[in-house]
Amino acid sequence: MKERNGVMMTSSMIIVVAVVISAVASFSGGYYLGTMNDEEFIEEADGLTSIELDDVGNVVSLTITDDYNRTITLPGIPQRIVSIAPTTTEILFAVGAGDQVVGVDDYSDYPAEALTKTRVGSFQLSIETILSLEPDLIVCGDLVPVDDLEPLEVQGIPYFVFATRTIDAVLKDIALAGILTGHVQESEALLDGLRARIDAITEKTLDSSVETPKVYVEYYPLWTYGPGSFGDDLIRLAGGINIAANTTSEYPEVTSEFVISSDPDVIIFTLGAMTTTTADEISERPGWDQITAIADDAIYSIDDNIVSRYGPRIVDGLEQLAELIHPELFE
Amino acid sequence: MNLKIDGLSFSFGQRRVLKDISLEVSDGEFVGLMGPNGSGKTTMLRCLTRFLPSESRAVLVDMKPLHTLTDREVASIFAVVPQSSSTDFPFTGRDIVSMGRLPHMRSRLSGTRKGDLDAVQNALDITGAAHLADRAFFQLSGGERQRIVIARALAQEPAALLLDEPTVYLDISGQLDMMDLIKRLNKEKSLTIFAVLHDINLAARYCDRIALLNQGRLEIIGSPSEVLTPEMIQSVYGVEVAVRRDPFTSSIYVMPRTISTSVARHGTRVHLLCGGGSGGPLMKTLFDNGYSVSTGVLNVLDSDYEIANELHIPVVAEVPFAQISDEAHMENLRLLNEASFVIVSPFPVGPGNFKNLEAAENALVMGKRVVVIMPSDAGAIDFVGGKATTFVKNLISRGAYKVSTVEEALGSIRS
Amino acid sequence: MVGSTAQEQSGQDGQSLRTGRRRPVLVLSGLCAVLAATLFVAILVGYRGPIGPSVSDHMSFGQAIDGIFGSTSDSWTFWDVRIPRVALAGLIGAGLACAGTAMQAVFRNSMADPFIIGVSSGAAVGAASAGLIGLTAVFGVYASPLLAFVCAIITVFVVYKMGTAHGRVYVDTLLLSGVAIASFLGAVVSFLIFIARQQFDQLIGWLLGSLPLVTWTQVGIVALPVIIGVFIIFIYGRELNALLLGEETAHNLGANPESLKQMMLAVSALMTAAAVAFVGIIGFVGLIVPHMMRLIVGADHRILVPASTIFGAIFLIAADTVARTIITGQELPVGIITALCGGPFFLYLLRRSRTGGIS
Repeated sequence: MKERNGVMMTSSMIIVVAVVISAVASFSGGYYLGTMNDEEFIEEADGLTSIELDDVGNVVSLTITDDYNRTITLPGIPQRIVSIAPTTTEILFAVGAGDQVVGVDDYSDYPAEALTKTRVGSFQLSIETILSLEPDLIVCGDLVPVDDLEPLEVQGIPYFVFATRTIDAVLKDIALAGILTGHVQESEALLDGLRARIDAITEKTLDSSVETPKVYVEYYPLWTYGPGSFGDDLIRLAGGINIAANTTSEYPEVTSEFVISSDPDVIIFTLGAMTTTTADEISERPGWDQITAIADDAIYSIDDNIVSRYGPRIVDGLEQLAELIHPELFE
Repeated sequence: MNLKIDGLSFSFGQRRVLKDISLEVSDGEFVGLMGPNGSGKTTMLRCLTRFLPSESRAVLVDMKPLHTLTDREVASIFAVVPQSSSTDFPFTGRDIVSMGRLPHMRSRLSGTRKGDLDAVQNALDITGAAHLADRAFFQLSGGERQRIVIARALAQEPAALLLDEPTVYLDISGQLDMMDLIKRLNKEKSLTIFAVLHDINLAARYCDRIALLNQGRLEIIGSPSEVLTPEMIQSVYGVEVAVRRDPFTSSIYVMPRTISTSVARHGTRVHLLCGGGSGGPLMKTLFDNGYSVSTGVLNVLDSDYEIANELHIPVVAEVPFAQISDEAHMENLRLLNEASFVIVSPFPVGPGNFKNLEAAENALVMGKRVVVIMPSDAGAIDFVGGKATTFVKNLISRGAYKVSTVEEALGSIRS
Repeated sequence: MVGSTAQEQSGQDGQSLRTGRRRPVLVLSGLCAVLAATLFVAILVGYRGPIGPSVSDHMSFGQAIDGIFGSTSDSWTFWDVRIPRVALAGLIGAGLACAGTAMQAVFRNSMADPFIIGVSSGAAVGAASAGLIGLTAVFGVYASPLLAFVCAIITVFVVYKMGTAHGRVYVDTLLLSGVAIASFLGAVVSFLIFIARQQFDQLIGWLLGSLPLVTWTQVGIVALPVIIGVFIIFIYGRELNALLLGEETAHNLGANPESLKQMMLAVSALMTAAAVAFVGIIGFVGLIVPHMMRLIVGADHRILVPASTIFGAIFLIAADTVARTIITGQELPVGIITALCGGPFFLYLLRRSRTGGIS
């Protein structure tokens, strides 16, 4: 699922309705097809501020800063967490905090245990359901309607945001999640494994002697990853050059002619629940037979979930991308 | 073209709007269609154009039943001029007139032919609308637009013009211009005219025959003098009128008579001889002081006549600009005889209304109390070479009471 | 409405009415020349070619001409990629402008546009639900356009039925039903977007109109209804003129207003639905272009229809050329360009008519 889609949900829905009501798309001309700039939200700062312990070593106060640079203070390790994003759910389960999770959003489907948790809605949250779960913390992903969560925070249920655009930031979030849930050791172990796998890839792909092919990744016909997006970071780490790296938005719709002219060596499209794209459809697009990737039959699919969910499985995505872009390095 | 309507009926749902109407219009005739609001005039026109789906078997055009014709054939027989036309779109006058060629296009694929251009130009010339051809239609005045629309109707090269109150939104000069134009087309081009008209006097002046509708029935059809009788108008419109003959056009002139609505007042009856606006203030003063006032003889367009009508004062009326007829004079004397006082306002006296001075003399003879208002000693406002002044002085010497203001006049009849 | 304000305020200033209108042949020839020039420039502008933000080896002007008119290694750039797109933009611009002209005549309202009878809202429902009901398995890339087209036609039919009683089309009722059904379907689209939020950006792109992947097949599919529709609307020009003076006048002039309205609604709906199905809702073309052309050639539909059709093509080809090149690599929905150009121009027209000009 593309979490980023949600940020524009509320305002854009109004626009959509207005568009259709007026029966002309005209007056919504000012609509800007971009997404929130992440720079100001992502801080390299260490999330941990302070922990206080009592005599027997229990945490009595935990002060921690999230990816939006918001600092929250908890009266102990949270035991009833609601996770509102597939990414955060995957992170929480991966660090061993699955038992502390009492509710998840409608799209959290991994790992399988997540499916047994209470559903609390998604872009439209069911505040009633959340309250009935009596949570002590809400963890949410980027672009969740946090305005809806403000009243809950006032009521003493704080929320904590994971918002990332790079694989390094994913690793930082996993470490934060370990501290937040009291599973520091599990998270360290997980991180060690992930780092080792990432290094195994990047020491090959980022070697200066390796050629960097031009790569075009699309998650919907002609929609791709632009500069500053997660996909852009993944392509770079996998040893490719993103042809859309110089466009002006994170998730641009590019023109067909631009792709043809950029002449990618590799084309990768994501496969998800709603995907209609096929390799045949791509190679039959007018003029695309001139593209090197299509002439070389270097056109591949990849599971949408492992490149768009910014949890531990992103390393799977990196591995697969690297193997698709540099099959010669991974024989 | 001969138009024969034989038993035309039409209903909106259960409501019967036209009931078994039969009439015939012969080639080159100018027939007016009249009747009160809601009597079915416009509906009848719409049945002729087939805009309303009537039992069109009842209508025969040159012996051909209307229902056997195509829409375009009907449109090249009848050209319609509605009450008014408007559009927000920037058509020029010529665009509008060109629309008249629509019934004559050979097919949708054929272009504009020379015959079309000639017919349009011809229509513009005949109607005197050529100077309006390149102006925006929506910027034209109401009269100019009607002229363009009549040109469009001519461009249709029809056998008959159907007009639906074509002058209703025009001022009086526009009305006369429009009716003169229609009459000219009727005479010069032998165009048959079938026109719904609301103004009885315009109809009387221009129509060869008038058909009078009443509640969906044809009440009568005939020449204006046959149709426009006080009795007929009373029965169809419920209004009492006097019918006179216009001395200039010799056509019939119909005037509403308000004499029947005589107001019973508590006070003494006063008859006022006035005209030319001289009697207005006095009428109002007397009326406000509770007197029952009557007046006469006044021409219809006289402002005193208007005031008398507004106050619902019984008034003896005469055709505009016409001399006082004997008939009106007798009526005046009758009213005068019912009054206790007669007041003569300082009205301009000409040959046309000299009879009003004579009426004052009659009043003295009848033994009425006569008051003459004379603002100065110079005499009457005299357009009969001193004759009026002499006459008034003579009245005073014979016992008429002379005052110089309205207030004095009021005082004199109170004492 | 523009016209009525002009009528109230501008008085007798009739002398200044359109100098060009006496020479319709000249105006139409001029428009054809502008169309040819626009086509030529639009075909040369792009990422591969002598003009534009080239991202690959530069192509000289001569090479481009050889590529277009001959068979060289550059030919595919023009004949496979750019010319179909330019052709589709031209056809859609022409179709929308022509349908807009017809709708303004049928509704006797200069604010009417081709979407007024529910085409866009119906098509939006179709496009938004295409991904949900799994039609792609059967129809592939044509699933969304097909469903958009079908839903647009169904919607128009419902609106039409609502506006019809006793075999007569009541344009006021038709207008209101169009608005009512559009707002209802707007809610449906919002709901569908809510369900299918993964395609949210894409739907927004579609709702604003864009021509991302154009094939000759699409050009062919759109060309058929557009060419037939333009032809039919053109030959009914005289009747449309008469209809603007009211249905009774149209009847009295021998035009059958009922069949005329039905014909115009059907033809416009087919053209518009075909156009919208592939490229989404491109606003303003169908509203603004007839206005602009009325300023130049007047209201006579025998000239206005072809003028609007040609200028619609020019307008959308130009707008699409901007949309595909103004931001490097990115596709800007062409609807944004048309709205950005159309909005201010429309306000200018309103101002102008208020201050005494002619609309």
